[in-house]
Amino acid sequence: MEGTCERESVVGILANPESGRDIRRLVANATVFQVAEKSNMVMRVLLGLAAAGVSRAVMMPDKGGIAARVIQACDLHRTVSSRPLPELTFIDMPIQCSSQDSLQATRLMQDMGATVLVVLGGDGTHRLVAKVCGQTPLVTLSTGTNNCFPEFREATIAGMAAGLVATGAVLKREVCRTNKALLVEMNGHPIDLALVDLCVTDDPCIGARALWTTQNLKELFVTFAGADAIGLSAIAGQLYPVDRSEAYGLHLTLAPPDGLLTEVMAPIAPGLLLPVAVSAIEQIRPGKTIALATTTGTIALDGEREISFGSSDRLQVSLTMEGPLTIDVGAVMAEAAKYGCFAHHYCPALATLMLREVPAPAPFHTK
Amino acid sequence: MATQLDKTNLLNAYRTMKQIREFEERVHVEFATGDIPGFVHLYAGEEAVATGVCMHLNQRDKIASTHRGHGHCIAKGVDIDAMMAEIYGKRTGSCGGKGGSMHIADISKGMMGANGIVGAGPPLICGAALAAKFKGDQGVGVAFFGDGASNQGTTFESLNLSMVWKLPVLFGAENNGYAESTGVKFNVPTANISDRAAGFGMPGITVDGNDFFAVYEAAGEAIKRARAGGGPTLLECKTNRFFGHFEGDAMTYRAKGEVKDLRERCDALKIFSTQVTSRGLLSQEEMTTIDSEVKAAIDKAVALAKAAPNPTAADLLTDVYIAY
Repeated sequence: MEGTCERESVVGILANPESGRDIRRLVANATVFQVAEKSNMVMRVLLGLAAAGVSRAVMMPDKGGIAARVIQACDLHRTVSSRPLPELTFIDMPIQCSSQDSLQATRLMQDMGATVLVVLGGDGTHRLVAKVCGQTPLVTLSTGTNNCFPEFREATIAGMAAGLVATGAVLKREVCRTNKALLVEMNGHPIDLALVDLCVTDDPCIGARALWTTQNLKELFVTFAGADAIGLSAIAGQLYPVDRSEAYGLHLTLAPPDGLLTEVMAPIAPGLLLPVAVSAIEQIRPGKTIALATTTGTIALDGEREISFGSSDRLQVSLTMEGPLTIDVGAVMAEAAKYGCFAHHYCPALATLMLREVPAPAPFHTK
Repeated sequence: MATQLDKTNLLNAYRTMKQIREFEERVHVEFATGDIPGFVHLYAGEEAVATGVCMHLNQRDKIASTHRGHGHCIAKGVDIDAMMAEIYGKRTGSCGGKGGSMHIADISKGMMGANGIVGAGPPLICGAALAAKFKGDQGVGVAFFGDGASNQGTTFESLNLSMVWKLPVLFGAENNGYAESTGVKFNVPTANISDRAAGFGMPGITVDGNDFFAVYEAAGEAIKRARAGGGPTLLECKTNRFFGHFEGDAMTYRAKGEVKDLRERCDALKIFSTQVTSRGLLSQEEMTTIDSEVKAAIDKAVALAKAAPNPTAADLLTDVYIAY
């Protein structure tokens, strides 16, 4: 913990209206996150940033209504409220109206001096950001389909926490976590990464991208797998939970249920529970490279088929402990409370004196 | 996944897309000669949508089309000789030459008609789907419509009614980026047309409309759900058109080189060819053979259409009323 710095603090906000419309809204019961709510969340982030003393925010532009609504809401706020907002700048970049906008905006935000990025999205959006965010820490806000990597958080608090780290009021090194990632190499060249799960299928085409059946699943790699996970990592989480902090991941060999192999009923998408048989599980340690046993098919990264490969391709997967940095919002806010960052006329000793012991309630008797 | 198509189906998919492309490229050339009466609106560039959807349909299922309807007709199995003759306004056309490009129909194939009125298809398909529901024949209806029609009251009313009655409908939004000459971002306030489905409690999804496999998978799930009584779905396919709104459109609203770029990067046939050859599902030779066969079939259709007789004065009063 240290005092608020004088240097200008810049926070980047990534909210892409194009995300979260895949087929899982049809074949499962995936969340529909409307643009209006994403705009509201951005406003709450901005107000949280302002409360933490952030002077500037940069945001990705879009043609889907988030930016327009945020501009309107900022104008209205300035009319009806005296509370300040950070100066908001939209990045000058061509808009492709696709997930690629998130990638491009992440690069440019760092060039503009953003020291923290607030990302609204699911596992897929965070994966894209992680590809190019380098050492810039992320505050993750879940708005996507399968959400294991980002957290379900109130956006106001996320904004406050992002602001405290950006201004230096809370030290980055005390509240940041380095995440694991799975790296994919094709024919000797690194081509992509996954933050949570990487699934190999024998389906030859990328098609509608998401996976909603299990008969074609062949191999699954996970960085972490909660027993309470949603998505493909739930297959591993039901058998062998792995925490984000563990220095290993898992590689599972999958098969259609045959009544003999270990079978898991896994929630592979919201509301979609399907049986999957697991024939082998092995731990994977950083640095160890595993060649795919599947010869042709597709690779789904964090739930969506992204890579198609054939028998002439050589594919390898490895685990790295050097994935993106994320900010532990709870830890930031605990630091903030400890040092009274949002309290006025405050000293810790006074807070202790103010504490009164609450008497225990009288026993309740019945006749 | 649903992409485990066998070779016959893959060849059929390619043949249908190639027929649409060749048909439209040829109409583009022939229209410029002045022999084709009326307006034509070409579907080239959007082949994966009609093909990916209609491969899940049978002749009992109905489709309602748009002013840009040639691709839907071909994908639904309408005879291309009769289509070409119809476009030429000839007596051998699928509607006796009285409909022309914007009113091609073939009820025997479940093709309820192209339609000159923007947004007219969705209410029609609700009627067809209601009939299928009453008959209990597991038939489904597909309404194709564009990003312009997505703003029409008729479309909203149809989305609403189909959900209230849980009709077996697929609303196929073909978002090609332009409502006539107006860019979609100037008249649709949401990032996706599919975003609007949530307001009706309907599943709404967006796929790459230039990728046959993406459309095929998504449409397959939606149609399966509709047949099983699960109700309607709004499927938005983001795609592109390679020609103007109508033949003769100078396209001053499009950036210089835009169409050339789209033909290079987003051509549904090229994307399909790359996908199937790189994975060894089809060979280039098999597709080249289809290319030749399709070209010959279109040549024949044009020759037949040009040689066919015009409707006569006596034809004026036929097909006007129907007796129930």
